[in-house]
Amino acid sequence: MSQSNTPGVPDVDAMDVDRMVENEREDPESVLAEADHSTDLGLAMAEDAKRVGRGELSSEQFWAKYDEAARAEFGEAYEVTPNPAVDSDDQTIDEAAAESLSCSVGSMDSVAAELDESEAVEASTAAADVDGDSDDPTYGMVIDLQKCVGCDSCTVACKAENRTPPGVSYNVVMEEEHGEFPNVSRTNIPRPCMQCTNPPCVQVCPVSATYKMDNGVVNIDYERCIGCRYCMIACPYGARYFDFGESYDDEITEADEITSPEYGIDRHEEGRVEPVGNVRKCHFCHHRLNRGEEPACVETCVGDARNAGDLDDPESDVAQMADSDRAFQLKEEGGTDPNVYYLK
Amino acid sequence: MATETDTGRLEFDTDFGFTSDRIRYGWYGLLAVLLLVGAYAVYLRITQGMASTNLTSTTPWGAWVAFYIYFVGLSAGAFLVSTLSNVFGMEGMEKVDRDALFAAAISMAVALLFVWIDLGRMDRMYHPFIWRQITSPLMWEVHAYVAYIAVLVTELYFAMRVDLARLAARVGGWRGTLYRALTLGRTDTGERARERDETWLKRVGILGIPLAIFLVHGGTGVLFAVAKARPYWNSGLFPIIFVVSAIVSGAALVMGLYVLRSKVLGGDLDRSLLDRLAKLTAAFVLVDLAFFLIDMLIALNSLHPHDVETWLLILTGEMAWSFWLVMAGLGWAVPLALLSKRSWRRTPALMLLAALSVVIGIVGVRFNIVVPPLIVPVMEGLPAGEYFPSLVEWTTSAGIVAVGLVLYTLGVELLPLEPLGDDK
Repeated sequence: MSQSNTPGVPDVDAMDVDRMVENEREDPESVLAEADHSTDLGLAMAEDAKRVGRGELSSEQFWAKYDEAARAEFGEAYEVTPNPAVDSDDQTIDEAAAESLSCSVGSMDSVAAELDESEAVEASTAAADVDGDSDDPTYGMVIDLQKCVGCDSCTVACKAENRTPPGVSYNVVMEEEHGEFPNVSRTNIPRPCMQCTNPPCVQVCPVSATYKMDNGVVNIDYERCIGCRYCMIACPYGARYFDFGESYDDEITEADEITSPEYGIDRHEEGRVEPVGNVRKCHFCHHRLNRGEEPACVETCVGDARNAGDLDDPESDVAQMADSDRAFQLKEEGGTDPNVYYLK
Repeated sequence: MATETDTGRLEFDTDFGFTSDRIRYGWYGLLAVLLLVGAYAVYLRITQGMASTNLTSTTPWGAWVAFYIYFVGLSAGAFLVSTLSNVFGMEGMEKVDRDALFAAAISMAVALLFVWIDLGRMDRMYHPFIWRQITSPLMWEVHAYVAYIAVLVTELYFAMRVDLARLAARVGGWRGTLYRALTLGRTDTGERARERDETWLKRVGILGIPLAIFLVHGGTGVLFAVAKARPYWNSGLFPIIFVVSAIVSGAALVMGLYVLRSKVLGGDLDRSLLDRLAKLTAAFVLVDLAFFLIDMLIALNSLHPHDVETWLLILTGEMAWSFWLVMAGLGWAVPLALLSKRSWRRTPALMLLAALSVVIGIVGVRFNIVVPPLIVPVMEGLPAGEYFPSLVEWTTSAGIVAVGLVLYTLGVELLPLEPLGDDK
């Protein structure tokens, strides 16, 4: 073993790591001995499964070999589970091979689709029981202006998270100075999309490309938007931006290589064009909400001024803050009823 | 216009193109240059996308939208002038009836080209017909435009059919084939058929009047007026001003074309008709001016900061020249002066000047409708806009207007846009 000159970095090579893994690995025989089913069959299948992983054996051959033994061992449970195949794109052995085996349920995809359907049916009956969409949260944000220091971190975090091009900034901080020297004060008002309860942008869109989701977030369908920019005209908060197709690529090499999975769809990966020629806006980092995370601006705020949560849940922080005497909304008289509240 | 034929009978003129070849080739040459420049500009627009414009997220609408509402107005105005003859039976107006209808149809086509080029995704222009949003005025508008074009084409057909049939019977070659095709097989030129055409012309015109006033142009005004975020537009008077200024520009256009037509294509000019068109234009300029002042008074009295700021920007801002010189000067002052005297109203050259002045002045009106409220930011702390159209915006606009002029000129040279003389 050679002497390392780098302090703090353990001096190990690949062999050492393999040995460490081997030490940590549990003995297959003793693990399987505790299970209800045959230890020998388990060991044999595990060995052959490794060969499948290495590409020495196809999944179809694997399942042909163990079909009879597996049915005898697992009975009905085996028959109703599709034969998995790690070496296949759809994770299932091919149709013809599956036919010849005793498993009868078709591909993994069809099983998944059926599960989705039955869940959807359950969900809709549940929603019908309690009136309307009471199951869905109404995402809201509360921004404490006493805590905001005007550092613009939220704007930067937003640009980093959503990879917005030049000229598009879902969040900005509006800075206002009041009074005359020496009696001056300064107010910083961060402005994301207000996710209005009555969004004027949605009313005017001629193609229904922008609409309000059940969780209160106003969405834009990049597959449908024609880029007429009427919504930008109608938005009282200037929260919408047109994607002129500009890029940071001139300033930062490969700036366009990383894209954001806006509304949960990674356009880059699926080979679609970025929403050039469309209107874009803040969506409360919808892809993060779906993962149970807070919007990037909320997570990053240095003064803990920004809060996000479910306004429908009276126990939530945002609901309680939005109820306080300090709470107000921007342009309240406009009837848009924003789901972004400010604390003065 | 009557010529002696070998049968010895007096016949109507079948050749209504330019009288001078020099003017013809000069005119088509100019249009060809504009089309070529425009085509290159459209190429730049398509390859560079909306980045080829000077539009921003603060000022998302600009020259193309201004020209779009301008040509919608021109169309609605010209159409309404045409109904003075074919619906209201105003005497003498039948001479400009078809020309007004044809100009209205071409203007509408030009307006739609402006809407199209303004879309961020031009390839998705059909989407409003698929995914309708009933609360969107823009969705209703595109449907109204289609219905309106159908009305215009139907009107033109009933207005021209008898003359088309007469031409088809008398002219051979490809022109004869064209005329026969345009009659859609109805070649009866008898008195009964003529009356039936007139009845239908009137019926479709009656349908078209509310369509043009309330849906096509009033609706385009509504499109702006519903934008509560822009208090300058958000007034009940706004759609009405839209319609009035549309009639101003339409009446002036019809008057200008009437003078031009007799100058360039030959033929006599009815001075009392000219006087009537001039009075009509003057009356609507006055109504337009009055409504404008009322709207300004209401806005300034509201003391709404955004509204007041927008008005001050128009009156005193960087682009105030476009208000004082183009809108107030060419749109109101010059025409009102020229239209004030009876003898001037009967002087073709002066009326052509007045018409041109109005037609250009209303362009200023349209720009001052679209741009100023998009310069003043919607909230304090957001950046203010700055906008002057880019070269690509200007040259594509010139190209699109040239498309309209080519279509119009071809129509003038080929179609009986002025009623043909009698057979004997």
